Amino acid sequence: MAKFPSVEFFNALKDRINADPERLRRLGTTDVVLVVKIDHPDRSECFEVTFAAYRCAEVRAVPNARATRARAVIVEGPDAAWREMIENIQLNGQADLNHSLNSLTLLDTPMRVRAANQLDTDLFYRYQQTLQEYFDGAGAPVQ
Amino acid sequence: MSQLSESVEQAVEGIAEIRRGKLDLTWMNCNSSGWGVRSKPRDERGLTLEDINADPYYGRVPDHGAAHGSMAPRGCDVPPETPSLGCYDINDKSLVWADNVEELYEEAAVHQWSSSRDIPWDQLTPQPEDLEKAMCQVCTNLSEVEFVAGDMPAKWLWHINHDFHEVKCFLATQIMDEARHLEVFRKRALANGGGLLRASPASENLLRLIIEAPNYTVGSALMHILGEGFVLTMFRNGEMFSLTPVEKKIFRLCMQDEARHVAYGTMHLKYFLERHPERESEIHEILSQGEAATFALNQSRENAEARAILAGGSVERINAGLVKLNHLFVKQIHEYLHRLKIAGIDRSHKLAIPAKLPI
Repeated sequence: MAKFPSVEFFNALKDRINADPERLRRLGTTDVVLVVKIDHPDRSECFEVTFAAYRCAEVRAVPNARATRARAVIVEGPDAAWREMIENIQLNGQADLNHSLNSLTLLDTPMRVRAANQLDTDLFYRYQQTLQEYFDGAGAPVQ
Repeated sequence: MSQLSESVEQAVEGIAEIRRGKLDLTWMNCNSSGWGVRSKPRDERGLTLEDINADPYYGRVPDHGAAHGSMAPRGCDVPPETPSLGCYDINDKSLVWADNVEELYEEAAVHQWSSSRDIPWDQLTPQPEDLEKAMCQVCTNLSEVEFVAGDMPAKWLWHINHDFHEVKCFLATQIMDEARHLEVFRKRALANGGGLLRASPASENLLRLIIEAPNYTVGSALMHILGEGFVLTMFRNGEMFSLTPVEKKIFRLCMQDEARHVAYGTMHLKYFLERHPERESEIHEILSQGEAATFALNQSRENAEARAILAGGSVERINAGLVKLNHLFVKQIHEYLHRLKIAGIDRSHKLAIPAKLPI
């Protein structure tokens, strides 16, 4: 697996989820721009993951959270929290009860979700299963 | 003497005329303005309501529904002798419409899941008695309240003019969603050695307010934005206090459904208030009543204690659970107020309930 965090890493997750189109059809359409914002003490890294219809369409690095597409949903947290989540997924094959996106963002710590308005934030809830399965791809066996 | 009615006799004679070669075929040449349409899917989604509504003839949703009062589909030729069904008295688009309703209907149609098949029931494990009882109480309450969001749309569905079929289709998906929620929580309560526990009188007070709402928009504001907004956050909570992957999956899938309902309600209220600003006070009034009823429901002993036990991890840690629930309550209020802000209504200084719990 490519090193976290990197465009290559998120592209690998994209390729993994797109490799099962039947699963994506079962999950239903997903139309959201998700921004993964990883906070370091001195800087942040942002990766924009675009979902459209039945696929993960694109991954790109963006300089900051303001440089993203319209209606983006930003999930932000410290690097350590992101790494712990990814390591938990890799250990268990999927996020356990305490390391899902929802669990980690629920109390706004260690991560939180934000968007331009509440309706856009709610997109995070509307497509939660697909978003979780995208990240759970980090735990999939290498083909 | 024939036992057939006059209309049946006429229909039988009509078939006989076709057999004799005496054809009508006038129906082939009606509605010429609406002929020649080739709606196409814009992407891999297939042919959606938005695709067919791109056609200006069929896609125009009128501000006032057709007066014929029948179920004739929008855009077709309606013969003058078509009888009115006498039930469609919601004929103003602003009373039901939301600009996201077509998108939400299509999303709902492809996001249907099965509580029988899509929940990993084999991953249930025995739990400490206090936690199992708390989970069963939460499931009892959710099974109790969820179907008001089926009963309420059903109450109004057959009043809504058929020209607004997009709204009716979406509400039908909501009824299906809520049926699924009712039964999945019932199933969870009955699947791990527990059972259903106590119904909640406080729940019924809120449910009655929703069912007895004097009009659809008021009912929608109460249910979609207030009630389901709070339940949406509760479903998020649910993943936090899930005992096994079973509850986690249940709450996550329910969360997706609920978020669609809230999105419709928010944008319907926005559409409505943009056209009827004079009715804002009516919405404030019902939300005040609804907030009080919702707060009483959430803080009823059986509901508050059960959720606090789950959030804390045991009866002994109920106070720790209450602290977590307070944080979530603050979030619930925050999200509710921000959805109302999108809809064009500010209740930040009018809340009928505390903005945080006395903990």
